[in-house]
Amino acid sequence: MAKGSSPKWVSQVILGLTVFLIFLLIFESFIALPNLVAWLGRLHPLVLHFPIVLLLMAALIGLFKNKVPDLLLAIATFSALVTAITGFFLGAEVDPKGDLIFWHQWMGAGVAVLAAVWYWVSVNYLQQVYLVKSIQVILIILIGFTGHYGGMITHGEDFLALPQNTKLGEIPDNPLLYKDIVHRVLDINCIGCHNPNKKKGELLMTGIAELLVGGENGPAIVRGEPANSELVKRLRLPLKSEDHMPPEGKKPLSENEIQIMERWIALGASDTLRLNHLDNDEPLQDLVKEMMAPEKMDKWKSFPIVADSTLQNLNGDYRTVKRIAGNSQALSVSIFSPPKYDPNLILSLKRVTSNIVELDLSGLPLGEKEMEIVGMCTNLEWLELDRTNITDREFAKLGALSNLLVLKAYATKITEASLPILKNYNHLHSLYLWDTPLSETKNSSLKDALPNVRIDRGIDPELITIFAEKDSIEEVKE
Amino acid sequence: MEKDKDKDSPENPLKVNRRHFFSQLSVGIGSLALGSLLIPDLFKGQAGQLASQPLGIPHFAPKAKRVIYLFQAGGPSQLESFDYKPMLAKRMGEDLPDSIRNGQRLTGMTSGQSKFPLMPSAVDFKQYGKSGAWISDLFPHIGKIADDICIVRGMHTEAINHDPAITFFQTGNQQSGRPSMGSWLSYGLGSENQNLPSFVVLTSRGKGNSQGLYSKLWSSGFLDSKHQGVLLRSGNNPVLYLNDPDGISRSDKRHLLDHVSSLNKIHHVETGDDEIESRIAQYEMAYRMQMSVPDVMDIKKEPESIIQLYGEDSQVPGTYAANCLQARRLAESGVRFIQLYHQGWDQHGNLPNEMAGQAKDVDKASAALVLDLKQRGMLEDTLVIWGGEFGRTNYCQGNFDPKTYGRDHHPRAFSIWMAGGGIKPGITYGETDEFGYNIIKNPVHINDFHATIMHNMGLDHEQLIYKYQGRRFRLTDVAGNVVKDILT
Repeated sequence: MAKGSSPKWVSQVILGLTVFLIFLLIFESFIALPNLVAWLGRLHPLVLHFPIVLLLMAALIGLFKNKVPDLLLAIATFSALVTAITGFFLGAEVDPKGDLIFWHQWMGAGVAVLAAVWYWVSVNYLQQVYLVKSIQVILIILIGFTGHYGGMITHGEDFLALPQNTKLGEIPDNPLLYKDIVHRVLDINCIGCHNPNKKKGELLMTGIAELLVGGENGPAIVRGEPANSELVKRLRLPLKSEDHMPPEGKKPLSENEIQIMERWIALGASDTLRLNHLDNDEPLQDLVKEMMAPEKMDKWKSFPIVADSTLQNLNGDYRTVKRIAGNSQALSVSIFSPPKYDPNLILSLKRVTSNIVELDLSGLPLGEKEMEIVGMCTNLEWLELDRTNITDREFAKLGALSNLLVLKAYATKITEASLPILKNYNHLHSLYLWDTPLSETKNSSLKDALPNVRIDRGIDPELITIFAEKDSIEEVKE
Repeated sequence: MEKDKDKDSPENPLKVNRRHFFSQLSVGIGSLALGSLLIPDLFKGQAGQLASQPLGIPHFAPKAKRVIYLFQAGGPSQLESFDYKPMLAKRMGEDLPDSIRNGQRLTGMTSGQSKFPLMPSAVDFKQYGKSGAWISDLFPHIGKIADDICIVRGMHTEAINHDPAITFFQTGNQQSGRPSMGSWLSYGLGSENQNLPSFVVLTSRGKGNSQGLYSKLWSSGFLDSKHQGVLLRSGNNPVLYLNDPDGISRSDKRHLLDHVSSLNKIHHVETGDDEIESRIAQYEMAYRMQMSVPDVMDIKKEPESIIQLYGEDSQVPGTYAANCLQARRLAESGVRFIQLYHQGWDQHGNLPNEMAGQAKDVDKASAALVLDLKQRGMLEDTLVIWGGEFGRTNYCQGNFDPKTYGRDHHPRAFSIWMAGGGIKPGITYGETDEFGYNIIKNPVHINDFHATIMHNMGLDHEQLIYKYQGRRFRLTDVAGNVVKDILT
């Protein structure tokens, strides 16, 4: 293009990058980035400062001095496009994209495309003064917002917010039911719209007193009467209902959370009640514990990475090794008895021991060596050793399995001598024990030793007798 | 840039000549091509799976690893089993009010009746367990496990006749041709034990009025045929032609298979037909099944107490009780989907007697299966389902006689129960009106039922997709919501 301005290849590069960027945006959901390309995304924080400075400079010069040097505009546009594309690559690593990234991405892309349009208008000598001026104004505004959102992504959403002192901490081991549980749920889900600054429906939900006072539709809670509490009624309405809370578009409360609200109100909506004050058969206890339990998948996040090829090698005719779910590194292993048992079926699991969460060894003739490997699976939550020939000696290798939730040991030879190891399993909730010397011990002594465990000692013999004696009726009585 | 080289000028800024156009175009297309490198399989036009989730692995941590589906083929009456309607006794013989029927269609078998007299249950009901579930006297043993099961009273379907109704339940569609539920799960989750099929079918037949069962119900439809259900027969030969013929040793068989397989592989390279690979895999599976199947099917190893629990019938091959015991053994051996069918529940007439016979076949064994799974800790990860393809009308079909009455098909409300595998135990979900005709609370459609089962197996029913004949297919097609209320 004329007047000794930028050479032609510059405009071609800019055109190419623009088309590329638009393509990326259109086909976003189909794109899978190779590692090297994804890595280019890491350049985003490095290059992003160029377009901010250069484009702002170009736009301001254009607004106040009219003539923008072509070179400046070319470099500014180029850097904006590169920034947008690397930003796209970086964003592709995040799934799902939150609101922040969504807006940052689209405004950033907008900046780059607008800059390209401006460049194109300018090198083609289109005398569109107003168009160019408005592009410059819009660019300045967009750059501001894009930068702001970008900053919030890296520094946190409340980075620029005025200092506040409330921050959601962890739930303590013995929580206050109102402050640590109920208020926490309200804080996350409700108080955003029912606070002194934004008093939707004239309702404040910041404290028990405010809940009792209520809003336009009367008190939010009525002590001891969950069914008559507006709060519960609103939570329980069908999702489609206008009056359902939280309103459409916001995440509804989970069943667990709603039930916690109901029981807490039923128990009198106290602010001094603690978890350990509750009776053992009070359902609220389990509800709260369920809420405090870490999400299953979260627990497994820190596991070492297992390659798909490793899994492939481990799988065989009699051994199935699978990921528990999707991209999780937690493994489930089942071994089925082959015609000729080979301890290597278990010994070769050694390199993935810390990934195994479920292990099924039912019916195998296990020896001490194999049990040593099992004992190394410290993340095990589910272990099936039923119908194996293990005794206390083999079982003694399993002292470190403190994450165990379910243990199937029926039809084995473990005795009372294994009880100390069982006691160590703090999280154990189900223990299948029938047909073992251990299950012969007195009910009360087992219960004392393992108070939180549901011990299955087989089908009630009385029930078997009923089943053996009584047949279903054949004729309907006249 | 020199003016003569590039013909566009400040005077004609928009005048683009051909050379310019192509040069610009090439840049644009080049960028597009560059971008398309980032999309794997863009031009492959693959016919198979296109879900973003990897196949063979649950989408999220599952509650259930396997399903035992005790299908009661023919449509057992909910009014004599799990939906207690004492009001019918008070209004016995009265015509079904139009306000209740609401002009809904009836089958050809009763639409000609001039009257629709209400008929109460010939058997009494009792409350069982802590939950106080109402269960009829025909099912006393299921009553004993009331606190382990979840009775769903609000099931409904659109199909009004056996074949479409059972096809709907099994494949998510009333017309045949779609993959069966077991095939979908095998496709989505893969096999747990390489020595057994992941989808096994067992059938039995009661003395009651029966409808046909066809292999299309366990067909893999358009999915790879290795996901098809394998029908195991009763008796000495659970799978036909599985055993080696006389004079052929196991090593001969191995040689034979290796050679056949190498020939098949050559053929596969030539034609690219994926069914050949399926065939190779099936030969291998059959070879391994020669060892595993007889072992799994050998119920003689079961102790006396188990036989007492399932009942004497469990020793008679081909009975429902024997199949239930078999189902437990198959589940233990890592079969993912075990489908039982018990025929004979189509009581258009003589319902009280026929249904008592049917109930006798299944009541004890179904309850025993749940108890047995429970003591083995398998109820924690095995989903048991008991139910038919639809329910039966609250009015009498045929002679109005409390001893020999019949009931017609009723798709608008019927009961099934589920147990284990992430389903809340000891609850009754959903409610019908006083007549037992329409659902008034918490309806569950077949699509919802499927979505819920898939959810418990760790699959998002909207994500498990197969593209075939130009469109995407799911078990739940375009509907289905997970019934969250009945999940643990």
